[in-house]
Amino acid sequence: MTTNGRVKTKYAFYPGCVSKGGCPELYEAVMKVADKLGFELDHEALESAGCTGAGVLSKEVSDPINARTFAMAEAAGMEIMTICSTCQGIMTQAHHRLKDEEYRTMINRRFLAEEGLVYKGTTVIRHMLWAIIEDFGLDKLKEMVVRPLNGLPIAHFYGCYMKRPPELMVPAEFKKTRKTALEDVIEALGGKAVKTSGRGKCCGFPILTSNEDNSMSMLGDHTLDAKAKGVRAMVTPCPLCHLQLDGKQADAEAHKGEEIDMPIFHLPQLVGLALGFSAKEMNLQRHLVPTKPLEEEFGWAVEVKA
Amino acid sequence: MEVKFAVKRYDPITNADKSTQTYTAEVDEGDMLLDALLQIRDEQDPTLAFRGSCRTGFCGDCTMTVNGKGAIACRTKVKKAWDGADDGAIELEPLKMSRQMKDLVYNAREFHWNKFRAVEPWVDPVQAPSDGEHLVPGGHDKRLTESMRCTQCGLCDQGCTVLVVDKTFVGPAALTKAYRVVADERDSRKRQRLDKLSLPRGMWDCTHCFEASEHCPKYIEPTDRIFDLHDMAIKAEAGPPKVVHHYKSFAASVKAHGWLDEGRLAIETEGYTNVKGLMKLLPFAVKAAVKGKRPMPYMLHKKRPGAEHIKKIFEKWESQG
Repeated sequence: MTTNGRVKTKYAFYPGCVSKGGCPELYEAVMKVADKLGFELDHEALESAGCTGAGVLSKEVSDPINARTFAMAEAAGMEIMTICSTCQGIMTQAHHRLKDEEYRTMINRRFLAEEGLVYKGTTVIRHMLWAIIEDFGLDKLKEMVVRPLNGLPIAHFYGCYMKRPPELMVPAEFKKTRKTALEDVIEALGGKAVKTSGRGKCCGFPILTSNEDNSMSMLGDHTLDAKAKGVRAMVTPCPLCHLQLDGKQADAEAHKGEEIDMPIFHLPQLVGLALGFSAKEMNLQRHLVPTKPLEEEFGWAVEVKA
Repeated sequence: MEVKFAVKRYDPITNADKSTQTYTAEVDEGDMLLDALLQIRDEQDPTLAFRGSCRTGFCGDCTMTVNGKGAIACRTKVKKAWDGADDGAIELEPLKMSRQMKDLVYNAREFHWNKFRAVEPWVDPVQAPSDGEHLVPGGHDKRLTESMRCTQCGLCDQGCTVLVVDKTFVGPAALTKAYRVVADERDSRKRQRLDKLSLPRGMWDCTHCFEASEHCPKYIEPTDRIFDLHDMAIKAEAGPPKVVHHYKSFAASVKAHGWLDEGRLAIETEGYTNVKGLMKLLPFAVKAAVKGKRPMPYMLHKKRPGAEHIKKIFEKWESQG
């Protein structure tokens, strides 16, 4: 379990705003699943960390805020684990810019020194999806499955930030584990990963405010394409995609004039169900698109113990 | 090496139905796609139409859709395309977002040039010095010179996820060109340009999904240049009111509490006095509340323990101007 003195599955946990706000079901599912997998999530190291900026705040202010977060994890000697693709993407990009020593020194001096913090540039930030594959292992995950998904056709929906920019998110050294990470987890849980046209595209969430029509077209196209391909559920590692795909699906149905009825899962929920947690424990009742038919078909109403 | 090419053909003179024609050619391992197309035209079919000029990846003329994805023909190895061909032939089509004019030639005027023209891509200089060159104040700007490398090849537009659903969106290529002018300190119309770019179908329709940056063969990072345009517009309060409210509320929330208050963001984006907008939020808010999702109103949004440090970071940034 240790590499270079690091306990592989111990992380400075960074939940992000959405799992504490609009998607509380994600936070709770992560707690249960991480515990079952034996992940040690440290809640203190980043207790006072700020929002990543989510691509809304200017890099001029979000880079210092992220450098502060990285400095705190570095001081605690832990990797950061995220559960939100947007947090992961924005942090990875900031992390990349902060590799430049001159820039990092400027940020340290100007923004972090007063608090007594310094970022040396060594922090690793890993999304839970990658942590499951890279630190825990798919073989071990397979062994822990007590309620396989029995070939359930599931569409993997990455969202934007887990894949792009590719040289940062899926660099050569991680191509093997990250290129098909979601598909690999779906298959490990016994599901069938179905390729849809929207799998790497934007869900439309970022333009809800500025162009709702386009946003709804994107959401409608992605979910309807999945439906046309026989998909029964979609899974995403990004809570913002979930807010859109699940939360706004009814609006997309009105926009498209078609019934969509496509259940959307957070990645940890899908893992949790296959590991035996009940639908209630994974908080499926909090979704806006009903998951009941699947719950009944797969017996998710009850917990299954190994 | 024997390779098959499935070319989507169209002849505007006969106006016959579009069809796919398959060519077989003997090519060398190191050949680029454009080499193969020139060979086919020379040896097999002089009627095959495609664009191509410099043959060295410099001009951006020979872009087309290769096996479903945008690519520059003179920079794509035939072998690589052949390895990636699913159905026993390399599939070739014109770029997808515009009308096919003939074979692999798409209508660039209808698409690119009209969009480029819309952003008025020329510097309208402030008074130039009378005694010498009109240099950019502050000297070399890496982002500005990088954005000048754009060859208008169209690949960023081909990758754009918004153009798929709305062809009237101005698109990343023209927005990158707009950045090149707006960020030029010698230009006299920065504010007007930001206002115009903030109109519907302009820069705020971008989802910043990074497809444009992924597709750019010149590593200009169009997505980051659009982020830069957004930053400039928010600083100048030039965006549409709802967008400016959204950005300001986001920043205020993080500045005050260290993290985002989604409930406050939704309300402030609409504006406290915008009754119609607020009413529109209600159905979702009620559904979400019933389901136990809880974006809390900001009165209940707790401060993060380190919020005062984050506030200081904001203040230092704001004092930079």
